[in-house]
Amino acid sequence: MRKLLLSLLPVLAVLASFVVAGCGKSGGDSKTIKIGLAGVLTGGDGQIGASMLNGSQIAIDEWNAKGGVLGKQIEPVVINDEGDPQKAVTAAQTLIDDGVVAVIGHFNSGCTIPASNLYSDAKIIEISPGSTNPLYTDRGLPYAFRICGRDDQQGAVIAGFLRDQKVDKIAILNDKTTYGAGLAKVVADTFTAKGGQVVASQGVDANDLDFRADISVAQGAGAQALVWGGMYKGGGPLCVQMREAGLNVPFVSDDGCQDQKFVDTVGKNAPNVFVSFGKDYSSTPAAQAFSKAYKDKYNSDVGSYSIYGYDAAQVLLTAIQKAGTTDAEKVAAVIKGQTFDTIQGQIEFDSKGDLKVADYVIWTVKDGKLQELAPSP
Amino acid sequence: MSSTLTDILVGGVSRGAMYALVALGYTMVYGVLGMINFAHGEIFMIGMFSCVFAMGVFSLAWGNMIVLNLTLGIIVAMVISAGYGYANERIAYRRLRKAHVLAPLTSAIGISTFLQYFIFLTVSRDAVNFPRFYSDYLTNHHLKLGPVDFSYLQILILGLTFVIMCALFYLINHTRLGIALRATAQDQLMASLVGVPVNKIIAFTFILGSALAAIAGVMYSMYNDTLIFNSGYRIGLKAFTAAILGGIGNVPGAVLGALIIGLTEALTTYGFGSEWDDVSTFAMLMLVLLLRPRGLLGERVADKV
Repeated sequence: MRKLLLSLLPVLAVLASFVVAGCGKSGGDSKTIKIGLAGVLTGGDGQIGASMLNGSQIAIDEWNAKGGVLGKQIEPVVINDEGDPQKAVTAAQTLIDDGVVAVIGHFNSGCTIPASNLYSDAKIIEISPGSTNPLYTDRGLPYAFRICGRDDQQGAVIAGFLRDQKVDKIAILNDKTTYGAGLAKVVADTFTAKGGQVVASQGVDANDLDFRADISVAQGAGAQALVWGGMYKGGGPLCVQMREAGLNVPFVSDDGCQDQKFVDTVGKNAPNVFVSFGKDYSSTPAAQAFSKAYKDKYNSDVGSYSIYGYDAAQVLLTAIQKAGTTDAEKVAAVIKGQTFDTIQGQIEFDSKGDLKVADYVIWTVKDGKLQELAPSP
Repeated sequence: MSSTLTDILVGGVSRGAMYALVALGYTMVYGVLGMINFAHGEIFMIGMFSCVFAMGVFSLAWGNMIVLNLTLGIIVAMVISAGYGYANERIAYRRLRKAHVLAPLTSAIGISTFLQYFIFLTVSRDAVNFPRFYSDYLTNHHLKLGPVDFSYLQILILGLTFVIMCALFYLINHTRLGIALRATAQDQLMASLVGVPVNKIIAFTFILGSALAAIAGVMYSMYNDTLIFNSGYRIGLKAFTAAILGGIGNVPGAVLGALIIGLTEALTTYGFGSEWDDVSTFAMLMLVLLLRPRGLLGERVADKV
């Protein structure tokens, strides 16, 4: 709680200075429409954040090739928040000062939430392709959207999956980020509500990479499964160390471990490893065309969030085109009122700005890849 | 439950030994120069990357010979790290040796950031896996004595820590080179007047400290399965704390301090949960420094003569 308050302080400070300075944003006469692309580009999550924004960039390229939006070319303004909540606030202010009309981002929930206050005050649409913490849209911000599921939906899927596997006692570890800790709490609450028991729940510093003490505690408490709330940079070593310690119960992680790097760490056919994530779209024609465009431009394979980045940009630009203006009020009304065709399929937003239907399923490691687990009958 | 406690203690001792390997290099440079080399953690990180890279090259050159490739990998890592350490000393520290004490310190922090982002931009932005092929044998075989269960890797880390500590202690206190080291530590001007090649001695200190950091880096990346450009930062901080706790500049003190910190962290996780481990570690550091301001075993190599 204290941490939250501390992280809000700079937000307040920036807001105060914003009010004092008297918001002199001009625009409208420029020849391009500026869209902010904000996310983590450096540090442990740098790769996953960059591949998300690369996806948005491809959508923007496609629109520009077709003549842009509202007859103007789209100018992306990429900014790096380093995955740091305080830097995210600075980044948001920089984008606002630069005159962007909308923002795609951020990636980490811990960054998206403080930044969204600034965007909302500046009347700027924000669509996050990857922030799943419920708090982002639960505060009733009128211009905040996300194009992925929420952790309460994801946590419920994880808890339900574990109960289906006849697991009664679980241990939960999280990486102490807004995202990881938030998810851990949802899993704990849902699992308890479904009649299970949480025998250990702790936050760890993911940069320490030595989780043996926590594993011993979980083992001693008789955990029948271990749940990880956090990113793959901690999840991978945790899973390996757990097996070394002889704890062979299921390892279940959230979408933070949905990355090929995670598979590289845990091994090609690691048994009993599960990850919750959106459905597998890679076999659809739209996704295949997208992967090809991505490979041509960036000479690497799509990341797990690239599709979400692409979809976010598609929804945003379609909505601006349909609204006939960049005015946030009108664009938000279009986003909330219409159905959009994306790689994820047809999607609709509810009044909060969340997807009406979240698509969480459980994936598992098989043949060197993460694959959707065949649905149990 | 008792087996949980022994697991915790084994994990804590191993983690402490890991810190100790890094702390030895820290304390060595401080002991001779009286300067905290904040770039030590980055030399450590460069060591782990060099080893993995070298092992990749060797396995392409003559196949997957585990012991040979790993040994040669460690040697290559030591050489490359030593080169970086020497370059650091020449470029960033030597000219500042007579400057105000804050100047080399700031320079060290600058080098630390520079090296981190140099590796970030040129080698890998993301975590890289230590090839499991080389570490599987060591991590999957265990030595069991009753309830106590060490993996071979943990034994290797503990053994290396002990051997290096003894070797350093012997080097400093019982060899001619050690006399020159201690003389340089006490008074560089006087040492140079009686014929000690001060510049060479200091360069040697950096080379030795950096080679030790490389060994620590390889062990760390094997133990925790990953290499990442910023992994030197946190362990550097912990090792630095360990060196202060034991009495900075003091070789056995660094190992003692590191073991205490490793055990404190593990026991805190056992008793209160891992969210508290930084709190208890640093609370203990403050307590020790209040009671014994020069650390548990006292400061600086030279002062112990």
